[in-house]
Amino acid sequence: MLRKADTNFGFAIAAALIFFFIGGTLTTIVPPLVDKTWAKPFENSDPAKGPVGQLKPYTDVELKGRAIYVREGCWYCHTQQTRTLLADTKRSGWKGVDSPISTPDEFVYDSPHMFGTKRTGPDLSRVGGKYDTQWHRTHFRNPRDLVPGSIMPPFPWLVANQEEFTAVVAYLQTLGRAKHWRPDNDYEK
Amino acid sequence: MQQDYVYPSIYFSYFFFALMAAGALYFFLKTWRSGYLGENSEEPKYRMLEDDAPGGQQK
Amino acid sequence: MPEEISNTVKSGPAGIAGSWPEHEDTTAKWFLISSIAYFFIVGIIAVTIAAKFVWPSLLGTVQYLTYGRLRPLHVNGMLFGWLLAADMGLTYYLVPRLCGVKLWSEKLGVATAALWNVIVLGAVVCLLMGWNQGLEYAELPLPLDVLVVVAWIMFGANIFMTIASRKYDQMYVSIWYIMGTILWTAFVYLTGNFAVLFATGTNQANLNWMYVHNAVGLIFTPVGLALAYYFIPKASNTPLYSHKLSMIGFWSLAFVYVWTGAHHMLHGPISQWLQTIAIAFSLMLLIPVWAVVYNFFATMKGQWHQLKDNVPLKFLMSGVVFYLLTCFQGPMHSLRSVNAIVSKTDWIPGHAHMAVLGAFSFFAIAGTYFMIPRVFRTRLFSESLGNWSFWFLMLGGLGFFTTLWLGGFWQGWQWNNPAIPFIDTVIALKPVWIVRFFSGILMFLGIVSFAYNIMATIIGAKDNPETAAA
Repeated sequence: MLRKADTNFGFAIAAALIFFFIGGTLTTIVPPLVDKTWAKPFENSDPAKGPVGQLKPYTDVELKGRAIYVREGCWYCHTQQTRTLLADTKRSGWKGVDSPISTPDEFVYDSPHMFGTKRTGPDLSRVGGKYDTQWHRTHFRNPRDLVPGSIMPPFPWLVANQEEFTAVVAYLQTLGRAKHWRPDNDYEK
Repeated sequence: MQQDYVYPSIYFSYFFFALMAAGALYFFLKTWRSGYLGENSEEPKYRMLEDDAPGGQQK
Repeated sequence: MPEEISNTVKSGPAGIAGSWPEHEDTTAKWFLISSIAYFFIVGIIAVTIAAKFVWPSLLGTVQYLTYGRLRPLHVNGMLFGWLLAADMGLTYYLVPRLCGVKLWSEKLGVATAALWNVIVLGAVVCLLMGWNQGLEYAELPLPLDVLVVVAWIMFGANIFMTIASRKYDQMYVSIWYIMGTILWTAFVYLTGNFAVLFATGTNQANLNWMYVHNAVGLIFTPVGLALAYYFIPKASNTPLYSHKLSMIGFWSLAFVYVWTGAHHMLHGPISQWLQTIAIAFSLMLLIPVWAVVYNFFATMKGQWHQLKDNVPLKFLMSGVVFYLLTCFQGPMHSLRSVNAIVSKTDWIPGHAHMAVLGAFSFFAIAGTYFMIPRVFRTRLFSESLGNWSFWFLMLGGLGFFTTLWLGGFWQGWQWNNPAIPFIDTVIALKPVWIVRFFSGILMFLGIVSFAYNIMATIIGAKDNPETAAA
């Protein structure tokens, strides 16, 4: 067997591919077939089962804002997942109420996904509705005006372009809104 | 509610470890009996040291 | 059965002496020259983004030069412009030699090198314009992805045809690893750049992490180890410790690596059982890693004194140590308890840089130092400059890795205490980022001295009448 792998060209290729495909299939194709929550949009109307709410598809303006978020590379520094860690639920929380954890069914309409790997800035998975348009305008123009010590780059051209600015803020306000969990004091309402 | 797949995944892992251990043993015995585990299968590692004309080499 | 081998192989060096084919190496030369140019250019970008952590408003009013535009350029430029191109160039060098035949088609190889340069230049334009697919390591827009696939088929066909026409039945370790790289990369790349487009949300993320993880694990690892398996024995003129031990490393890598993609989503919105599988297989990664590293250390037994004045060997063996360390970090990081601290912190870039710079770029640099004087039939321009390049990269690298690991743990512990406001955890890391910037400068000096040394060797080879005649 080993000698064949060592001297036989075709055998080595076949074995390398078979080994690869066992793990490849079982970890990429099989999981979404087994766990249906990956593809079913979040919907819950029973408070006993956790926060109620419903995931809605993005509107055209929100999709445009999302494309700007992707273009400017916001996702390199901001993750979008409240993990199953106590600290995450507190950091994503608001006014003393802990945020629910992120679940796959909240991200069904996301493409490209924006989960992220690096948290240079705070997590944005529950940022929607927390800050109003004026806050975002000032913050994009120069983050250090509102948050001294921040290392986020300024994005003055976003503020200058009314259409893009409206779109990106519209997108940010959708983040984490599928689950109704927060006290009723949103800035935008 | 969401189904809990944690225990099935653990049984799957045990099964998988057993499968792999058996496979490794099988291949080991097979190559051992075919005589592969001797010095003569080590030939390529000596050959590769002499794989090029010494012209390019200047020390 | 054992007789089979002695019959089929013209055994021993004596049997093949004097029958080496005349290698042209044009493809290898072009790949390496362009990859070194990108190493230098992207090095400037690397230092720039390190500076942006210290001076966040630097170049802040230029839309094309923000952190969000430069980071993908840094990552893609280093991975595809420098490292993969250098690895391919060195593959074009070592496969014909290990097979005892000429490269199947030098013309196809040169065309591949040209196409690769088109891809890299296209990537620079697209990424600065913000034409970004939004998926990590797969940022390049679709037309460029198609070109990458075409280039990879050209590369794979050339190498496979060369291997198929080899003179010796039994293949050396590096050949398996290169075959594995070509095959696995094809599927990993298709998953990460094409299959993801048909999925959304968690499903897409799972495919994306399968690609991201295996871009390192099944592209850069096998081709990097192919280089190490070739250049460590060659540079030290010592036979490899064990051919058969290397098979354990290879086949366990082939089986185990692909399972671990989901460990990038630990604690995240993805099924718990999939996370557990990824963790179990991440721990099993220790098997291929330790088999490989033991083989290299055992090869060097009694030969360590050679490190004193052998520049390629210095890079190779420190690369092996970094490989061991980074592949110890990986499995440990995938444990849930450790992950809860270091995940998403600055520990991550520390770990990634140690794999890609500390291990695989060191192997590629060593290979370049070994190969360039031989294919141009000359001497290295300066041994002492080579030494300087090693120490710059080594010290810069160590400064970078250690501060980011420690900084990452520190950051993670702060994050896990919700009483500390997030902005305070940012301000706390500023000293770490200053050290990272200066380490980056040291590494850049290493790149400059390496690139200058190689270019001066190549230019010097032309003016050397003694070698021109040879």
